[in-house]
Amino acid sequence: MVRFVNQRRWVALLAVAALLSALGVLGTTHRARSQYAELQQLELRRWNLQEHYSRLLLEYSTRAAPHRVHRFAMEELGMTKPDLKRYRVVRP
Amino acid sequence: MSRRRKPKAVPMWRIYSVAALLAVLPLMLVWRLVDLQVLDNEQGASFLQKQGAMRAVRSAEIPAYRGLITDRRGSPLAVSTPVVSLVANPQHLRDSNQLAALAAAMEISPDVLQQRIDQYADKQFMYLARHWTPEQARKVLALNLPGVHGEREYRRFYPAGEVAAQLVGVTNVDGKGIAGLEMAFDDWLQGTPGRKRYIKDLYGEAVRDVGVIKAAEPGNDLRLSIDLRLQYLQHRELQQAIADTGAVAGTAVTLDAWTGEVLAVSSYPVFNPNSRARKTTRNRALTDVIEPGSVMKALTLVAALESGEYTLDTVIDTSPGRIRVGRKLLNDPINYGPITVSRVIEKSSQVGVIKIAQHIGHEPILDVFSRFGLGSLTNSGFPGERSGYLPNRERWSDIEKVTPAYGYGLDATLLQLAAAYSVFANEGRRMPLTFLEVDHRSLPDGERVIDPEIAAQVVKVLHRVTANEGTGTLAQVAGYQVGGKTGTVRKLGANGYLDTEHMALFVGVAPVERPRYVTAIMIDQPQGESHGGGSAAAPVYSRITEGVLRLRNEVPDLPAIDDSTQLAGLGGGQ
Repeated sequence: MVRFVNQRRWVALLAVAALLSALGVLGTTHRARSQYAELQQLELRRWNLQEHYSRLLLEYSTRAAPHRVHRFAMEELGMTKPDLKRYRVVRP
Repeated sequence: MSRRRKPKAVPMWRIYSVAALLAVLPLMLVWRLVDLQVLDNEQGASFLQKQGAMRAVRSAEIPAYRGLITDRRGSPLAVSTPVVSLVANPQHLRDSNQLAALAAAMEISPDVLQQRIDQYADKQFMYLARHWTPEQARKVLALNLPGVHGEREYRRFYPAGEVAAQLVGVTNVDGKGIAGLEMAFDDWLQGTPGRKRYIKDLYGEAVRDVGVIKAAEPGNDLRLSIDLRLQYLQHRELQQAIADTGAVAGTAVTLDAWTGEVLAVSSYPVFNPNSRARKTTRNRALTDVIEPGSVMKALTLVAALESGEYTLDTVIDTSPGRIRVGRKLLNDPINYGPITVSRVIEKSSQVGVIKIAQHIGHEPILDVFSRFGLGSLTNSGFPGERSGYLPNRERWSDIEKVTPAYGYGLDATLLQLAAAYSVFANEGRRMPLTFLEVDHRSLPDGERVIDPEIAAQVVKVLHRVTANEGTGTLAQVAGYQVGGKTGTVRKLGANGYLDTEHMALFVGVAPVERPRYVTAIMIDQPQGESHGGGSAAAPVYSRITEGVLRLRNEVPDLPAIDDSTQLAGLGGGQ
């Protein structure tokens, strides 16, 4: 009789454990799914930022291109290469 | 009613057998379910799962970001930017009634679109457009057509354009380096693409992603030794020189002799790396060999000084201005008479150099050449780089023994010539050449090639070449002392050397007091009177070196002041 009661207790315990584990699986699956969704969101954001970044990089290098700087300095700002007469060498 | 028969008692076994039969039917269903869903047999669970996945689950590549290539100051030379390729399933597109809208969004005529779809009539996949900017693609994707979707990719842009095109190289449409440094450092730049799994619907469109199998790993950035400002300067001056002289091609290299870094390398004709219609991607400074001619005389001078038989002041009689070697008669432009070894180089006297070569023999000369790196690859790792050629024979005729001394009968790339002269600028040491920025605190030792004393003497002679009586006066740079050697090489035609086609060369070091920067110039087939190294190449050297010295903050050779009152006067300017 004692053995029978013990057995029933075990079965109940295991049933509860199985239920808990099932709920756990449910929770984890849900978390995995939502985190994956977040990952996708972030990846999309990274993609967009990268797009933006490389556009800025290209814009920067177009604007800072040596030939553009050269033309701008010469034509718009009236700059010239320093004349050797205007050089002063200072002893350190 | 009496006729009614009394119902016969039904035997129990019949009831039982029907009940048993009915009970077996659901059991069979259960068994089938277990068979399909649980048991792992031939047509069982895993088989079905696989079949299902085959129909709905797809995996796709996650493109990896290719590393940036920048110059030594961080200016971008090659940038990967996200783009979208539009792909479609022509089977779904064919019957779509929205083709007109699609064509409008793509800004092409509906006929052209129809034609392209017809071309792929029996296919399941086609590209509608490749490498569009995300904005362009968004317009098309907004139509939400079944069977049309966007694929993310990266495309390479080259902000410096043609200025650094031959050096940086290009990638192909799939992002693999196929020329230049893009190819040489492909493994380093290229990331590892990842994979993800997604579920698709009937039209092949992704319903949702189900997981990342492998994350994409971005490639590494590459910082070059090139200074874009110098590169631009060189490019501009080279192009100007070619326009001025009517030449067909030209090449220029600038090195930092102390570190072995290539600061700029350009060649003409150029190409636009941002356009897919490419012509020549060849970097002539590394992939084309030339007969160097007179610029080799500086190396012959090294052999002469090393032999101990000559000093700079040893007098050689070059009268009567010509010399017969074997069956060949070689001559100087005029009879220089008895002149010192130093003058022989300054005037580039053929007779003088041949007399030296005949006296010391060809072995020590070729030995110097090979110590200076001629005939072997520099370790730049550039794809398609040539090693050049040094003669090596069993039997040497009289003329073959002397031709190397004045730079014929052997060939070298312009980069090798610049690298050879860098030995003079680095106290006799040859540094390993590199296109990558070198950490100045941990410089490689380099290889001792010649005695520092001899290197200093050669620099002295190179300086005299650019002095007022030398062949390279046009190489002078205002405010600085420079040195170098001219060369005018007759080109080889079908029937021997041509009288009408030349290559003009100049290789120089600067500044002479603390030599550091080596620049080599080659102008191919300059036209008109001024086709020589001294008149076609030396002025280009002068203009490039002026910029190199200014941009690298070299102090001009002017009287120094240390009086602060004099400094104060500078503030006002003019």
